[in-house]
Amino acid sequence: MIEFKSAYLTRNKKTIFDNFDLQVRENEKILLQGKSGTGKTTLFKLLLGFETLDKGRVTFNGHRILKENIKKIRQHIFYLSQDIDLKNETIKILLDEIWETNQIKPDPEKFSDLLALLDLNTQILNQNTNKLSGGERQRVGLLICFMLDRTVWLLDEPTSALEETMKKKIADYILHQNKTIVVISHDTVWKQHPAINNRIRQWA
Amino acid sequence: MIPYGNNTRLLIIELDSGHKMGAQDLNIFSLASLLIFLLPILYINHRLRLSINKTLAISITRMCVQLGFVGLYLEFLFKFNSPVLNTVYLLIMITIACQSILRSSNLKFKKLFAPVFFSLLIPFVVILFFFNAVVVDIDNLFEAKYLIPIGGMLLGNCLRSIIIGLNRFYSGIKKDEKVYLYSISLFNSRIQALKPYFKDAFLSAITPTIASMATIGLVALPGMMTGQILGGSIPMVAIKYQVAIMCSIFYTEYFSTILSIIFSLNVAFNDFDVLKKDIFLSKEK
Repeated sequence: MIEFKSAYLTRNKKTIFDNFDLQVRENEKILLQGKSGTGKTTLFKLLLGFETLDKGRVTFNGHRILKENIKKIRQHIFYLSQDIDLKNETIKILLDEIWETNQIKPDPEKFSDLLALLDLNTQILNQNTNKLSGGERQRVGLLICFMLDRTVWLLDEPTSALEETMKKKIADYILHQNKTIVVISHDTVWKQHPAINNRIRQWA
Repeated sequence: MIPYGNNTRLLIIELDSGHKMGAQDLNIFSLASLLIFLLPILYINHRLRLSINKTLAISITRMCVQLGFVGLYLEFLFKFNSPVLNTVYLLIMITIACQSILRSSNLKFKKLFAPVFFSLLIPFVVILFFFNAVVVDIDNLFEAKYLIPIGGMLLGNCLRSIIIGLNRFYSGIKKDEKVYLYSISLFNSRIQALKPYFKDAFLSAITPTIASMATIGLVALPGMMTGQILGGSIPMVAIKYQVAIMCSIFYTEYFSTILSIIFSLNVAFNDFDVLKKDIFLSKEK
């Protein structure tokens, strides 16, 4: 589904990828681990077209990432950035905007189930995104992820700001989805989860 | 807008102001006498260590020299009153305006000249000729007496709003790049992701003119009106012109600011909707 082949990338004279290979098959769950600042996030940005490789290639469903198909590729990828950089807006308005531009009709039942799962109350919907705490931001980001239901999830530290029981619950929920999932996380819950079985990529 | 035909109005002006058509000329020495007030200013600046005396001297000298040249070539343009010359003059003015806009917006001339040029040109030409043909109702649309000063006023005001518009739009996205890119990934639509930056930039660009229309006349008389009254027009004529020019300025500003953002999008973003860093003049900001 996703393939990096002989990828080579330098930024500001620092080598980020040097002959890097990675293959992710459909519905596979992969955990990426390694020190911060080593380009794990860049991997996600390459798939979304926010960065381009100096050499080598990245393919999504066998297609190279090009101007012509970038919109289609983005349609399939949900990206949870580390800081969940939501624009400043009331959450309710933001969510409606997201549903509308993605042309989905949210199922109210699923929505309230997810609010319960993520331990979010409905009052939070009237808040502005920049008033949220780190943990709330993360859960709102995940709420968008689960509702959008795209086929590939790229999750950058999705549980870092959550408390221990919540980390477990969320990791478990995510890893049981029928999706292709790549997670960057330092949290041990991911590493220990049976669904990850040996698909841990250590970063040099 | 002005209920009289061309000839009738001219007649009225002549009747009203009689033989005193035009303002009294200023003796060059009397004009220079205004510089006397500079002496205490220079002294105060020096004592307060404001260190702006050099800048001030350069600014005043530049003003005199530049306006002196404007006076010379305006006399030249008015004397020949040739449509071609007038058009060339306006095109040069637009080009200079573009350069000034891009420098003030911290954007590269080479990359963004064409989009900004056309975003100025299109509304400018439409409004200017509408002004001359329909509002003032003159026979020769290229009449230097109308074309040059009105064109200059429209351009001068557009300059400010396009600078604010482009500057806020692009520096906003640059500063907020993570949020912008995240919006792209969520909405999967560049237009949707750009909306908040466009809204902010566009409103900041046009609100000053809207505000100034609301307060005009309360405190200061606009320069154009003052000039016209000194030039011999009766106040009501000057006021009608002022209303006409304020509206025209606003319309030109409105459309040229929108167009400058729209036209520049294709140059400023790459194939993957990421803002190009090489459109900016310098890296530090």
